[in-house]
Amino acid sequence: MIKFSKLLDDLLLNSSKKKKIKILKDYFNSLETNEKELALSILSKNFSTKLIKANDIKIMIKRKISEDLFSYSYDYVGDLAETFSLLWPKSKEKKTISFFCFMKSIEKYNNKESLINFLEKTFDNISSNEIYAIIKILTGGLRVGVSEGILKECLVEQGVRNKFEIEEYWHAFSPFFKNFFCWLNGEALPNDINEKELFHSFMLSDTFDENLITKLNIKDYVCEFKWDGIRAQIVVSNFGKIYSRNGEDITNSFPELNITSNKVSVIDGELVVKKNGKILSFNDLQKRIGRKKVNSRILDEYPVHFLAYDILFMHDSDCRNLNLSSRKKKLESLLKILNVSNISFSPLINFNSWNDLKNLRNKSLNNHIEGIMLKKKNSLYVKGRPKGCWYKWKRNPFFIDFIIMYAQRGHGKRSSFYSDFTFGCWTDNSFKNLVPVGKAYSGFTNEELKDLDRWVRSNTLERFGPVRSVKSSLVVEIAFDNINFSTRHKSGVALRFPRFSRIRWDKPPNEVCVLNDIKKLIN
Amino acid sequence: MNNNWLIKKKEGLYCIPGDFYIDPIYPVNSALITHSHTDHARPGNKKILGTSDTINIMELRYGNNYCQYSQKIECGKLLKIRGVNIKFIPAGHILGSSQIYLEYKGEIVVVSGDYKRRKDITCDSFEVSKCHTFITEATFGLPIFSHPNDIHETSKLIKSISENSDYCHLIGVYALGKCQRFITLLRKLGFDDVIYLHGALMKISNYYIDRKIDLGELRNISELKTSDYSNKLVLCPPSSLSDRWSQRFRKVIKGFVSGWMGIKQRIKQKNIQLPIVISDHADWNEILTTIEEISPEKVLVTHGREEGLLSYLKQKKVTCNALNLIGFEDEDD
Ligand SMILES: [Zn+2]
Ligand SMILES: [Zn+2]
Repeated sequence: MIKFSKLLDDLLLNSSKKKKIKILKDYFNSLETNEKELALSILSKNFSTKLIKANDIKIMIKRKISEDLFSYSYDYVGDLAETFSLLWPKSKEKKTISFFCFMKSIEKYNNKESLINFLEKTFDNISSNEIYAIIKILTGGLRVGVSEGILKECLVEQGVRNKFEIEEYWHAFSPFFKNFFCWLNGEALPNDINEKELFHSFMLSDTFDENLITKLNIKDYVCEFKWDGIRAQIVVSNFGKIYSRNGEDITNSFPELNITSNKVSVIDGELVVKKNGKILSFNDLQKRIGRKKVNSRILDEYPVHFLAYDILFMHDSDCRNLNLSSRKKKLESLLKILNVSNISFSPLINFNSWNDLKNLRNKSLNNHIEGIMLKKKNSLYVKGRPKGCWYKWKRNPFFIDFIIMYAQRGHGKRSSFYSDFTFGCWTDNSFKNLVPVGKAYSGFTNEELKDLDRWVRSNTLERFGPVRSVKSSLVVEIAFDNINFSTRHKSGVALRFPRFSRIRWDKPPNEVCVLNDIKKLIN
Repeated sequence: MNNNWLIKKKEGLYCIPGDFYIDPIYPVNSALITHSHTDHARPGNKKILGTSDTINIMELRYGNNYCQYSQKIECGKLLKIRGVNIKFIPAGHILGSSQIYLEYKGEIVVVSGDYKRRKDITCDSFEVSKCHTFITEATFGLPIFSHPNDIHETSKLIKSISENSDYCHLIGVYALGKCQRFITLLRKLGFDDVIYLHGALMKISNYYIDRKIDLGELRNISELKTSDYSNKLVLCPPSSLSDRWSQRFRKVIKGFVSGWMGIKQRIKQKNIQLPIVISDHADWNEILTTIEEISPEKVLVTHGREEGLLSYLKQKKVTCNALNLIGFEDEDD
């Protein structure tokens, strides 16, 4: 368990993605194949023991130490696994337990008491770092900042499979990843896997550039709205699955869209919240993202809807080699057969000229539409981002001046710079009180970052750990893609993807607008 | 206190018959100083009494106005102030640090100041002294704190330097005590290279050298006329790890030598890649052992994480209380 606990430490202390990938790579390289499978299952949050909960861990430690001392310690440390490992009586003998042996041993236990008994005996002989690693494994949340995306990037460098293959076949192997590493190194896929039912990499779009207007023949393209939701893939099969853009299984978060059938069909589209016939904002959708279970209150309050715009498989047959127009027809007919009210065909928009499109794009100022999509009629469904097939043409961002209120030190390379900024605007025309509206940490150059850092340090009012409150005197122009009402924010509004547009060193802060002006942007 | 001759006032701990304070946080007429860390030894008192190292370092740090009159006392020597017998006893915390022994009408009180029980060649070791009331610090007064072996911790830095020779190692150390002790540990492990110091660490390190403590070759980093800091070891005050000064180090591994570095969440919060767990304070077990060895009738706790210690002592039926003295920081922070 020493290597695994070292891995957890290294991942916790290194916040850059590049470093994390290197650490994971070195770790995997040091393992035997059967250990790799287990490690991947744990790191990808697919491993779970239902037998032990956080509360059982607390009960164990309270048999060794008083309730008071435990709670003072837990208050100070703030992490259960770490508190536990520091409080467990230190072993005299310095034994260790191998990762593989431990994982194989706990498989044998099927009741709580005997497992706890085994754990207590184990903990009496090993170091506190190993205990820490074991508790982290048992209670699930490693919280070391490793996403599925980082793991997949690391695995691309581990074997002969590319990013798409790993994304697509991931769910054939999870949760246990049996034989995954053999496949990764070039062996054939196990026979019992039905490829159609798996995730299929998405076709992505290029950003539209206005220079293309003279180059493209407008008659070759169809136009759709670009919905502000999340891209998803519905796999209709014996089990039914829903996948996110990078192939994460999100079926549990959106159970009402899960459809089963003994013939496999796969559709591509955008997931949004739609209530009483109206599509709601991305904020409302956020209430549904990332949930392991959804209760009936959430289902009622934030019902999801799928706007389908493409089809990859229909009744077991591959459609990806058909052109877009034929696929759209297939999709419409499949939706008729499925006949479910919360999946609908994303409508095509009629237009005759580039001017029509420009108008459409500019008028698509709606809180659930980000702009328009142009798709070539004769394009096939190609994974990745094939050139010249699909274009996204987002409407222009909003630009608004705000005042910097707080600054926080960044991470990794930026750890000695104040690089994360909270900005706000005046609550009313008395220009006395500010209310925070959002956070931005990009959009400035390295030189500007140095200037901002210097400004923060010499205009600090108060310090709270890594955060400083600053004088209400620096105005910055913030660009953002969208704005909506939000109950989660004190200001009552939430911005989509705010970033610095320019720093207005000379602008007086009382020329910044008040909250009501900003709310007027929402329609 | 049994007979109320040592009490807590807003300025700090006060001895009524002797009319003096111990480590007061506001300027007073007469003060006894346990050691020269800035939260214990503040400038502006009229008269102070302390060991010669404590007083010299105070003068070095605060200049002429460190007090009006100072009196130096040798450790172990008895002094009588208005009927109170006083003795300074080594505390093992930093150079010159001491506990203060007070005896009045047969009742003995020992004020620990800050202390540790580990070996430290830069100062005299803690001495156990029997007393009726022991007034202890509790900076690390929770069972989660168990300081590891300091040689092992020091070797982590030496290993990292040899494995990452293209990096600069920037290590935060407390300017007084920790800096010099850490250097002696590095030297003991055979690290002979020049060690570069942030300017704020120079003065006190030079004082240690004058006091015949061998620190090897030290140089002020500002004398280094280069922007290439690779393969250099630089020590700085902890606050400089994230200030503008540190921005000059591009390819850098940041470390911090502190008792707090035993807590992963703390390390993460401070953005440290190389935590080195070395403390100049007693850890949980050492506080308990010390109390056991002294076995006083009563324990009072001055500052730190006193709730944990008090709850434990009460369970063991030791008479104890919190003094809740304010103004003492977690100085390793
Ligand atoms: Zn101290
Ligand atoms: Zn102290």
